[in-house]
Amino acid sequence: MARSLTHFLPLLLFVCFASIASVALIMTLSGERKLSELPSALIGKPVPVTELPSLSNPQAFIKIEATTATPYLVNFFASWCAPCRAEAPALAILGKQIDIIGVAYKDKPEDSRKFLADFGNPYRAIGIDNDGAAGLNWGVYGVPETYLISKDGIILKRHAGPIDGDILRDEFLPLIRSLQDRE
Amino acid sequence: MLSPEFGHFCLVLALVVSVVQIILPMAGILRDDARLTYFAEPLQLIASAAIFISFASLVYAFVVSDFSVQLVASHSHSLKPMIYKVTGSWGNHEGSLLLWIVILGLFGMLFVFREATSRLKTLTLMVMGGITLAFLAFSLFTSNPFTRLSPAPPDGRGLNPVLQDIGLALHPPMLYLGYVGLSVAFALAIAGLITGQVTRSWARITRFWVALAWSALTAGIALGSWWAYYELGWGGWWFWDPVENASLMPWLAATALLHSVIVVEKRQQMVSWTLLMAITAFSLSLVGTFIVRSGLLTSVHSFASDPARGIFILFILLGAVGLPLFLYALRAGSLTKGSDYALLSRETGLIINNYILVVSTFIVLIGTFYPLALELFTGAKITVGAPYFDATFNPVMGIGIVFMAIGPLTVWRRGMVGSARPALLLSGSVTIIAAVILLVGSGLSVAGIAGIALTFWLALSIGGDMLFRLRPWQAGIGARLRLPATQWGMWLAHFGMVIFLTGALASALFEQENVVRVSKGAEIALGHETLIFDGVEERIGPNYVTETALLRLFDRDGNLKDGLYPEKRFYPAERQTTTEAAIRTRLSGDHYAVLGDGSAESGYTLRLYHKPLVSWIWFGAVMMAIGGLIALYRRPQKAQRVMQPEQVPKEAE
Repeated sequence: MARSLTHFLPLLLFVCFASIASVALIMTLSGERKLSELPSALIGKPVPVTELPSLSNPQAFIKIEATTATPYLVNFFASWCAPCRAEAPALAILGKQIDIIGVAYKDKPEDSRKFLADFGNPYRAIGIDNDGAAGLNWGVYGVPETYLISKDGIILKRHAGPIDGDILRDEFLPLIRSLQDRE
Repeated sequence: MLSPEFGHFCLVLALVVSVVQIILPMAGILRDDARLTYFAEPLQLIASAAIFISFASLVYAFVVSDFSVQLVASHSHSLKPMIYKVTGSWGNHEGSLLLWIVILGLFGMLFVFREATSRLKTLTLMVMGGITLAFLAFSLFTSNPFTRLSPAPPDGRGLNPVLQDIGLALHPPMLYLGYVGLSVAFALAIAGLITGQVTRSWARITRFWVALAWSALTAGIALGSWWAYYELGWGGWWFWDPVENASLMPWLAATALLHSVIVVEKRQQMVSWTLLMAITAFSLSLVGTFIVRSGLLTSVHSFASDPARGIFILFILLGAVGLPLFLYALRAGSLTKGSDYALLSRETGLIINNYILVVSTFIVLIGTFYPLALELFTGAKITVGAPYFDATFNPVMGIGIVFMAIGPLTVWRRGMVGSARPALLLSGSVTIIAAVILLVGSGLSVAGIAGIALTFWLALSIGGDMLFRLRPWQAGIGARLRLPATQWGMWLAHFGMVIFLTGALASALFEQENVVRVSKGAEIALGHETLIFDGVEERIGPNYVTETALLRLFDRDGNLKDGLYPEKRFYPAERQTTTEAAIRTRLSGDHYAVLGDGSAESGYTLRLYHKPLVSWIWFGAVMMAIGGLIALYRRPQKAQRVMQPEQVPKEAE
């Protein structure tokens, strides 16, 4: 009996897989699966103060601090991440509107540099998060991930996944504009 | 004659024939009426022919640029070179789906011609009819390639420059040959579950189709990776992208199947496992075919996805995977036989091989779908990239290589080839000494050294196996060279793995690279070599303008070796920019140059690499594919019996 039960195992695994896929599909179809918004324990809270070695000058450090003169974005990226390539054009546009601090997440510095040479560098400064410790602090699920931070260091928005044209137009640009108008 | 309507009609005809192809033989089997079961074969041929004509109509519409067909209007252009008009017919969702069905028809036809009529054959053809039916329905109801467009536009919109590429054009047909080829083994497995007779002859038939599909899949994956390497200009050859993973998973499962079916053929063991692998391999190719079309996962090279198609896809998957697995759960128990082999035996070796391949399939599966599952439960959208796979897949494959070196030296039931122990000891100690020297003397990482050592050991053990089996120093080599083709195929395929690993390791560990921002006249060092940048020239192509960087490559003694001309192309009609890497390919390694952004005033970004032995990656894959094809050849049964009787059972394959 036990022997024949093991033969049900593949079916069982498949059923699990199929249910996940079905739920995902149905949610996509009904428009419920919109993954731009991410709940974060950090939203509305001050940024975790982070100090990372700078990509351009390994002797120097990049500090993500509580207070700055203007609002800014923090973007976690990596050269090994395909969606990061996809969001490069959106970041290029954003980089002209607002400062972006890049965090190279679990990436070799030479790979990050290569990535920037290829896809453009929209960042004001880039920190190296080689072991992913900063990512852990921020609660990063994966790359790419982008945070909007107010000038008093409060996390206003979090977006996981690549920023595409729609998200740029409908979410980031209006929010940034309203922040800058308030200045 | 070849009008789109006629093509559409043929597709409907094929659908109807497929229904009959299932019903008539089924009635024949239930009523034990050979006149009805006989219909399976001619019906398969009719369905195949109808599908071929339908596809020919579609290609014809592309060739004559019939823009009244929607697909042609949106994916072709009258100015495209003819070759890309033809290949453009499958460079889109609808057309590639039809190509998939064409290959299914091709395999059905070949199966009819090759195999002798039997109950197994009838049942297999019924299952294949079922698969054809599902795909035809998918094509006709959700993705009809023959939809007309009225009014017809004066010209097409499909002049996407990135898609005008020969590697991209040939890659899907090759890959589909592999994906779809696995459907034969899948159908045979279901037929075997139904009849309950998974015999030696079942295994012999199945093995042929698995090896054929496996070879095509290997070549298809290699072609895709080669395309990504030279066209995308990212400098890598494998990105762990969902689409790539989708082709790797069936490959891993098919590799497991290719090995386990041998155990069924030779020893009648691992029967239910082999059936499971046959079902799994094709199920994973279905997943692979659909991943890119359903909008479930995002990838850098997916088709435009449509969730409405996703529902249809899901139903096909449920039927095509769920039902066979259910059948398996019910029937597999009765097919299992007690084991009668020792721990050190070829059976054990192949079981370990299968477990390792299945574990690695799972690793890729989890890496591909975990983000999706996580997204559902937590709402987070993430990417699991190369770091995950480097940490999980590579070590498991490393263990796999250890057994790949030992396995072929074992014999069925018990023990090893007589000369294997000294050969393994010798190659093992040489490898370990070399690894220790590397560890002390070189700055390489432990993982890198482990990779080199394993590859080296694998090469030695294959070489040793060949040497001791052929014994060229003894008389009568001629007779010993007459080994079965499967043996030669195995050696070639395994040695292809060595070549592949050599290329992969060398290009990763000894790569030289330099990313610089330079102005005209600059000298750039790349390892021992030097490049001189002579500035950027604007050139005009047939339908684009380029910025071409002029680079001269000098060797360490200052002799001019070659020029490298990476380009950035701008296609004004499509307002699209593409990067054309300059690649100088030699057997010893590639020089790879990419032009980044910049201007004459501020300088240009240049990315330069030397990738040693990188082309070996694809040579190795091609060797594996050829090895698989060689193993297809079987000497006629009579000739095999002429061989010395004691040699036959020992003959390890």
